[in-house]
Amino acid sequence: MYGWIWRHLPGNAWVRALICLLLVLAVVYVLFQYVFPWAEPLLPFGDVTVDSGTGTGGGDR
Amino acid sequence: MTTENDDVLETGGAGQDSPRAPGAETSPEDTPAGPDADTGAGPRRRRGGVAAVVGVLGELLITVGLVLALFVVYSLWWTNVVANREAARKSEKVREHWAQEAEEAPGRSWDPRDGVGFLHLPALGKGYEVLIVKGTGTEELNKGVAGYYTEPVRAAMPWAKRGNFSLAAHRDGHGAKFHKLDKLDKGDVVVVETKDTWYVYRVFNTLPETSKYNVGALEPIPKGSGKKRAGRYITLTTCTPVYTSRHRLIVWGEMVRTQKVDDKRTLPAELR
Repeated sequence: MYGWIWRHLPGNAWVRALICLLLVLAVVYVLFQYVFPWAEPLLPFGDVTVDSGTGTGGGDR
Repeated sequence: MTTENDDVLETGGAGQDSPRAPGAETSPEDTPAGPDADTGAGPRRRRGGVAAVVGVLGELLITVGLVLALFVVYSLWWTNVVANREAARKSEKVREHWAQEAEEAPGRSWDPRDGVGFLHLPALGKGYEVLIVKGTGTEELNKGVAGYYTEPVRAAMPWAKRGNFSLAAHRDGHGAKFHKLDKLDKGDVVVVETKDTWYVYRVFNTLPETSKYNVGALEPIPKGSGKKRAGRYITLTTCTPVYTSRHRLIVWGEMVRTQKVDDKRTLPAELR
């Protein structure tokens, strides 16, 4: 996969390395800006409030 | 047999040798090489296919691992950077707003979305303050602030005669304003600063771990706090243990006094 990308990049090794770096930065940017903020609420790590949950009404106690 | 070998030799690229030398001499030399090259190429090509699949799979697994590691970096570091920046901006706006209002016309007029005031927790460090805004939704809390509950039990504002001012903030990520909330103990001071008043509370009870459905903790007379009579209480909630959302940590305080904010916004004795 990465080998394939490397082989299909233009230029010499330095140019390819630079393009690779830019690609990595672009991927990290997309992850931090769009993917992670989207995925975060789906994961149960950030709930800090007490609530009555789903359907339990008054909660226990 | 020989014709087959000849075919193999020709297609195998060794055909340059065969026209030069007489067939009888070259065939014993080339025939071992011919079938060897042929049988060697087949498995090698097949092994190459398997290796390529395994290689891609391995690369994918490494990629997944890196993405997960990045997610941890995002959760525990980047969200703090973003939230603290946002909180600092909002806090500054609130203070500016207060300063302007004081010049124009004194009196309380506030927009809860901009921020009600500040929560001071000297037990977590000198000058530790968190902006208080309305609501405990993800959108509010992710800005590195403490939100007061609007549901399931509506918080009573500090200036209300009776009731419970209930707040929530993140334990990890998004500012992690209540990361060290477990450091608060009985007797510690909690101060709420509004435009014109300092409300000084003292912690009287904590609940190190409770169910996340324990909404009784937010009631005007918080259930489980030990209080039986109506009073002016404050409730701080966050999740526990750290880095999870399994349970809730609760800290209760009771108001001990209030103090008017003076022109220079002199800190009350408890914060000095």
